[in-house]
Amino acid sequence: MYDTEKLGTDVNQNDTKISARNVQVYYGDTHAIKDVNVDIGSKAVTAFIGPSGCGKSTFLRCINRMNDTIDVCRVEGDIKIDGEDIYDKRVDPVQLRAKVGMVFQKPNPFPKSIYDNIAYGPRIHGLAKNKAELDEIVEKSLRRGAIWNEVKDRLHAPGTGLSGGQQQRLCIARAVATEPEVLLMDEPCSALDPIATAQVEELIDELRDQFSVVIVTHSMQQAARVSQKTAFFHLGNLVEYGDTSQIFTNPKDERTESYITGRIG
Amino acid sequence: MPLLWLCASVLAIAVVGFVFGRQRALSTAGGDIRSLHSLPNYYGWNVFMKATVPAFGLIVVWLIAQPLILQNSIAGMIPESEIKEGSNIGLVMAEVHRTATGLENAVAAGVISPALATDANADSAAVTAMLKESGQVVTSEISQSLLNAAQAFRAMNAKGNLWMTVLGLVVALAAGVFAAIQCTKDYKARNAVERGILMLLIAAASVAILTTIGIVLSLVFNTIEFFRLYPALDFFFSPEWAPSFSGRGGSSKLGILPLLWGTLYISIIALVVAVPIGLFAAIYLSEYATPRIRGIAKPMLEILAGIPTIVYGLFALLTIGPMLVSVFGQDGLGWMGGGRAVMTAGIAMGIMLIPFVSSLSDDIINAVPQAMRDGSYGLGATQSETIKQVVIPAALPGIVGAVLLAASRAIGETMIVVMGAGAAARLSLNPFEAMTTVTAKIVSQLTGDSDFASPEALVAFALGITLFVLTLALNVLALFIVRKYREQYE
Repeated sequence: MYDTEKLGTDVNQNDTKISARNVQVYYGDTHAIKDVNVDIGSKAVTAFIGPSGCGKSTFLRCINRMNDTIDVCRVEGDIKIDGEDIYDKRVDPVQLRAKVGMVFQKPNPFPKSIYDNIAYGPRIHGLAKNKAELDEIVEKSLRRGAIWNEVKDRLHAPGTGLSGGQQQRLCIARAVATEPEVLLMDEPCSALDPIATAQVEELIDELRDQFSVVIVTHSMQQAARVSQKTAFFHLGNLVEYGDTSQIFTNPKDERTESYITGRIG
Repeated sequence: MPLLWLCASVLAIAVVGFVFGRQRALSTAGGDIRSLHSLPNYYGWNVFMKATVPAFGLIVVWLIAQPLILQNSIAGMIPESEIKEGSNIGLVMAEVHRTATGLENAVAAGVISPALATDANADSAAVTAMLKESGQVVTSEISQSLLNAAQAFRAMNAKGNLWMTVLGLVVALAAGVFAAIQCTKDYKARNAVERGILMLLIAAASVAILTTIGIVLSLVFNTIEFFRLYPALDFFFSPEWAPSFSGRGGSSKLGILPLLWGTLYISIIALVVAVPIGLFAAIYLSEYATPRIRGIAKPMLEILAGIPTIVYGLFALLTIGPMLVSVFGQDGLGWMGGGRAVMTAGIAMGIMLIPFVSSLSDDIINAVPQAMRDGSYGLGATQSETIKQVVIPAALPGIVGAVLLAASRAIGETMIVVMGAGAAARLSLNPFEAMTTVTAKIVSQLTGDSDFASPEALVAFALGITLFVLTLALNVLALFIVRKYREQYE
């Protein structure tokens, strides 16, 4: 709607990672996402904000085709990653998801050991030639997940035995272990306390060096802290998209202003 | 007064009490429901409950106690000479009982005058003739002492019944009036009724538990009796099962090993059939099937669970057996003598267990949180990788529990074995030979005219308790594993 097309093109085209054009999503008869156009930059953190039910999580799940697992969900329009249409018939959603990792709202470690949780992705994609290489990947991923020091002495303890914040960092390390290019995070801190949230936010900031991170959040402070770009969704529409500093200090759209000042949502 | 009328009268008193209690509570509150402690109906139910429960309790206790007391006092009246060779007091008492019932019916039919029926000096031969004439079942000539005993039995029974009626009604009335007096506006009728309901529920639960204890005790006592007649070591370790019923001569060999082996062998074959098929069906239904297919396939599969086991037995006997014989029998590989074999029963039992395994596993697989699957898909795993490496490991303890429950059903199964596996107790590794199981032998030891004092009949209890311990252990193990699994996600 409105001038989203123009806003989308404001982003520097040189390092666009994901580009979405005229994306529509339907859940059965419900039109959940209406005509969204957005370009997400590479090696940057992009935040999706908006009130509950505005479609930001749904849009996030379109980027790695997680919506395919929901029977009634239908996606229209183009989403391109590095210029390649991910909804093309030739694209295998399984391979796509290896390239576009995802971290969920609630920490969901598998009921396996910490080591096996991290090794899960590399094993199914055959990333390691031998045990030593796998050990290396696990250690590297846990270090990137900023949790290595806490778990290095108990790699074979069950992952479900960790605290909530540790579990979430474990899940981030698990997503990082498959060497994705894009990391999608669906409200990764909503189940965590402020200290764990701070640790995860710090981690997100570090991950920006290697990945394009897209994060859905309910907390506007969090969006302001961690992201370089922010997109505001409202009732299935992408209302405004731009630099985080601009969105929070000088929003162009009335609805964005109402939301960030607390008048709607 | 007949029992039915007595119960009806007590209920009538209770209904009157219900109405009266409700009215009284309302009138003490001046007709204003809001100033009552409880809703008016609670006052009614309070009276109803207090009128019926003690009265019915008394009647039940009386009905159980009266025959026992009568039995004892009448048994003392029968002279030692009346108990013939080869008979016992129980048989004589049965005759007394029959005669008393006969007299009762004859008086009711008008063949014998009430005076004659109670006359202690009545001619026993004449009475016998009259009883026979009126069509009452009397085995032989009734002796004088037996007739007297029967007359005394009848008199005491009538007296007992009268007292029961009177006391039952008095208790119902007294308790009803007492409860009605309680019904003032401040009485906590609601709490009293709640307590009554709690008692009812506790009583129901205790009946179930007490019955279990009773079953176990009856097994234990008869087993002790058996081991007094037959050495326990031979029972548990002798590899031969060859009971000889008294009369045919020779001593019995009652070793449990061949039966236990047959039980385990057939159960293992049943599980080998049921577990993979049931598990794969469950995985398909819970992970792959569309809601429409699931809606059709799951009830269809569960129909299998509703088929009586005797029908599976027929299926084993008429279909599976001949089919196996045509492949492995004399015309084929020559391994199989007849249609009845371990394999026949095992396959039929396996088919019986498929819905059991699949339905339980399906529930367990569905209980694995969607977040686990999302996590795995999000890492680029395919559906089968997700199931193999995340869903099944997460559900495994529950699946093991389901398999153990299925195993304990297989061990306890009788009908399929009787019809499909034959009756020969033997220790053999060939699955195409006829064998038999513990349950099938319990049936054959106890059916027909068996003397409950012989080891050949009592062995059934020892077999029963062995089986009980075995399945109990499996069930406890299964429950333990299932419970451990539950803790994982909560």
